[in-house]
Amino acid sequence: MEIAMTSGSKQIERTGALWMMLASSLLAVVSFATPALCQDAAPLATNPAAQSAASAQTPPGENNQVYSDPLSGFNEPMFNFNLKLDDWVLRPVASGYATIAPQPVRESVGRFLDNVRVIPRFANNLFQLKFAEAGGEVARFGINSTVGIAGLFDPADAWFGLKEHPNDFGLTIRYYGIPTGPYVMLPFLGPSTVGDTVGMVADSAMNPMSYLLPWWITLSADTGQDVIYAVNYRSLHMNQFEEADRFAIDLYGAVQDAYLQTRAHEVKKLHEEEW
Amino acid sequence: MRRRAFALFTLVAVVALSLAPSRFIAPAFADDPMAVVRNTVNQALGVLRDTSTPLAQRQDQLRQIVSSTFDFTEMAKSALGYHWKQISPAQQQEFTTAFVAFIEDSYLSKINDYRGQQVTFGTVSNDGPQYAQVNTDIVPPTGDAIHVNYRLLQDGSTWKIYDVTVDAISIIANYRNQFNRVMNNQGYDVLIADLKRKQAALAASLANH
Repeated sequence: MEIAMTSGSKQIERTGALWMMLASSLLAVVSFATPALCQDAAPLATNPAAQSAASAQTPPGENNQVYSDPLSGFNEPMFNFNLKLDDWVLRPVASGYATIAPQPVRESVGRFLDNVRVIPRFANNLFQLKFAEAGGEVARFGINSTVGIAGLFDPADAWFGLKEHPNDFGLTIRYYGIPTGPYVMLPFLGPSTVGDTVGMVADSAMNPMSYLLPWWITLSADTGQDVIYAVNYRSLHMNQFEEADRFAIDLYGAVQDAYLQTRAHEVKKLHEEEW
Repeated sequence: MRRRAFALFTLVAVVALSLAPSRFIAPAFADDPMAVVRNTVNQALGVLRDTSTPLAQRQDQLRQIVSSTFDFTEMAKSALGYHWKQISPAQQQEFTTAFVAFIEDSYLSKINDYRGQQVTFGTVSNDGPQYAQVNTDIVPPTGDAIHVNYRLLQDGSTWKIYDVTVDAISIIANYRNQFNRVMNNQGYDVLIADLKRKQAALAASLANH
């Protein structure tokens, strides 16, 4: 479940053939809900009461928005599944791992995994014609893979001031103003939208190794990498989920809104960075 | 010659100031969004750093600081969205009281999490004459800063906070989505019961510290 609380971009960036298969089978399920696909997770005001409220004056940022959630019949059980998965597997494993590996080590593991996922960041910055950011990702990869000892450290930021420019295909879709469809709670992977799931598949397909090695090697390598990523991330945020539950009245709604607000903000930032 | 020019300049300046709308020369802290936020945050930091005073007393101090600068009624109304108009005035009152207690206890329960964080104040942006946003960063001793922005509205001559965003997530909008789901799926009675139950749990954990 902790995965669900992570910032969207890092999570979506994750590659892996298993996730690709999961995502495609989910898409197959989802495509049966064709009418639902016509709706978007973005705020809407189909409810007449919502419309009358929207016409009343509201302060900036308070637009009385209501999300459509046509896949809630699928999402809610999946959300509960993810909660149980976290409770029974992810949290205990991460907790054990945290007692063996000190925090600086775990932070280095996080940086290492982040470093090897350079390709989707590079490609999507390029797709959005952000040449400086794409070049920055190449430079970061070069510096951190060598001086930073295979990405365990981040001298590109610390010494050269080269910040990471997170990006993914889901953001590219939004960047060009294409709606990303209804909200989806993916098993294992947490919150997403139909468009973000498609983006995740596209980002995974960019891994050049998947074209060079037999599929079962890439599959196990990617899955292993994703599992390590999830355990490592969870170990660095041990209390985050418990905290969220204390302050939430409806945890599903809190996670859904946090995800959709974060994605909306990420794409807004991509536009604002431009001159 | 230079003296005369200076005297003339002073005269012009005084006349101009006296003709200007009073809000330009009113004391800055009374109607300046940045000053309101800076004041509130610095007072709160003072309480957080003062570990010698008993915890219950510090909680009261924080409660006072927060209640004078947050527009809780507007927050409760906004968090309920269009459902606000669907409940009775008595329920609106009940909901506001419960929500205010819940939000206050949420913030008070953070008192023991204070680990020497600093707050830096960034830019102010105005959204129309009545609304403003003040950007701040909470900087921990190690690790990444958390971006906390305050949204304020002008209420008479004072500015009041009606929403806070944490790393770009609006807290009120987040509760609005939660409350909307509970209202649509289970109704007001369940919502108010859940709100009171969660608030009681927070209050109990506050008392235990």
